[in-house]
Amino acid sequence: MAKKIVHKDIVIIGAGMAGLTAALYAGRMNLDTLVLESGLIGGQIANAVSIENYPGFESVSGGELIGILQRQAEKFGAVIDEFDTIEKVSLKSTPKIVETEEHIYECDVVIIASGMNRRKLPLPEEKTFAGRGVHYCEMCDGHMYQNKVIAVMGGGNAALDAANFLTKYAEKIYIIHRSQFRADEVTQQRVKKNPKIEIMLQTEIKKLNGKGRLQSVDILDKNSGKLQNIAVDGIFVNIGVEPNTQLFKDELKLSDSGRIIAGEDCCTEIEGVFAAGDVREKKIRQLTTAAADGTTAALLAEKYLSKLKG
Amino acid sequence: MVKVYSFEACPWCNKVKKYLDSKGVEYEVHDVELNAEDAAACEKLTGDTAVPVLTVDDKNYILGFDKAKIDALLGL
Repeated sequence: MAKKIVHKDIVIIGAGMAGLTAALYAGRMNLDTLVLESGLIGGQIANAVSIENYPGFESVSGGELIGILQRQAEKFGAVIDEFDTIEKVSLKSTPKIVETEEHIYECDVVIIASGMNRRKLPLPEEKTFAGRGVHYCEMCDGHMYQNKVIAVMGGGNAALDAANFLTKYAEKIYIIHRSQFRADEVTQQRVKKNPKIEIMLQTEIKKLNGKGRLQSVDILDKNSGKLQNIAVDGIFVNIGVEPNTQLFKDELKLSDSGRIIAGEDCCTEIEGVFAAGDVREKKIRQLTTAAADGTTAALLAEKYLSKLKG
Repeated sequence: MVKVYSFEACPWCNKVKKYLDSKGVEYEVHDVELNAEDAAACEKLTGDTAVPVLTVDDKNYILGFDKAKIDALLGL
């Protein structure tokens, strides 16, 4: 079946905090706005149990916060499609083209807010045990570990929040982290006070073991150089993120870390193409800065469109 | 009848259900957190209790949200 050709003022790639904020602003400016998302609406925060550093909310789940933002964006006319996956983009052409499985979208502006994906565990056995003891979504898979022993890998806020959340199911949780925690002090104190959690800093998982599903891990103590085997029923991996820029690598300049190079105005080297949120190379990546980027990109996109249309 | 093993707070489960809704597919929801029998049936089918799991005949199943596989299994 031939793909349907549709014109849009703005196509926003990614429905996380940056993308949905851009959609809200673009919608309020009466721009014909489409948001495409192939993963979860909300991006990295879709699975966040509790967010305590977003202004105006003492504590809110990622799902709840993003649900409000999605409703706001849709209320002002933005359309969000989470089932039509992008196959390729042509950003230098006029009009710009975003081709999905079912459509060819022609548009004047593209806002890239494709965010980050969780980094996979870099061990050869990962593929064998993925979903069979190795997990990346505590909210999705935590329920499988009622009264079991699990490990959480990572030392940032997301990892420590995951460990705290998983204590609602598991009997015991190891936090395995290769250096010192990067999480904020409040979050660190929470895990340190939790009697179900045992913290193992300066350690690294070297091997996954099990028949059919994960049964134990070999852990290297980086101080002593000793390997020890620990029985675990599952591990939740939270060892950082990598930018979702595969689609754009032939079109835009990327930084060494794979993020899109764009200034604080979110403008890339291609006119009418903006990068917003964590996918943009910048020093601070927070929910608040993602929202700020979404705002900036949408407002400058409107100026660009006005100039284009005379 | 299409069955979806899932639970309320699971975002990928909700994505599967939203996709079926968008295609007008009727389905039964089997909650693995609220109902031990459903959890046991899911484990019997897949060998595990990871969700979402979609099945039409209690033999062939799809674990996770995989649009191409769902389309193929349901003839969408």
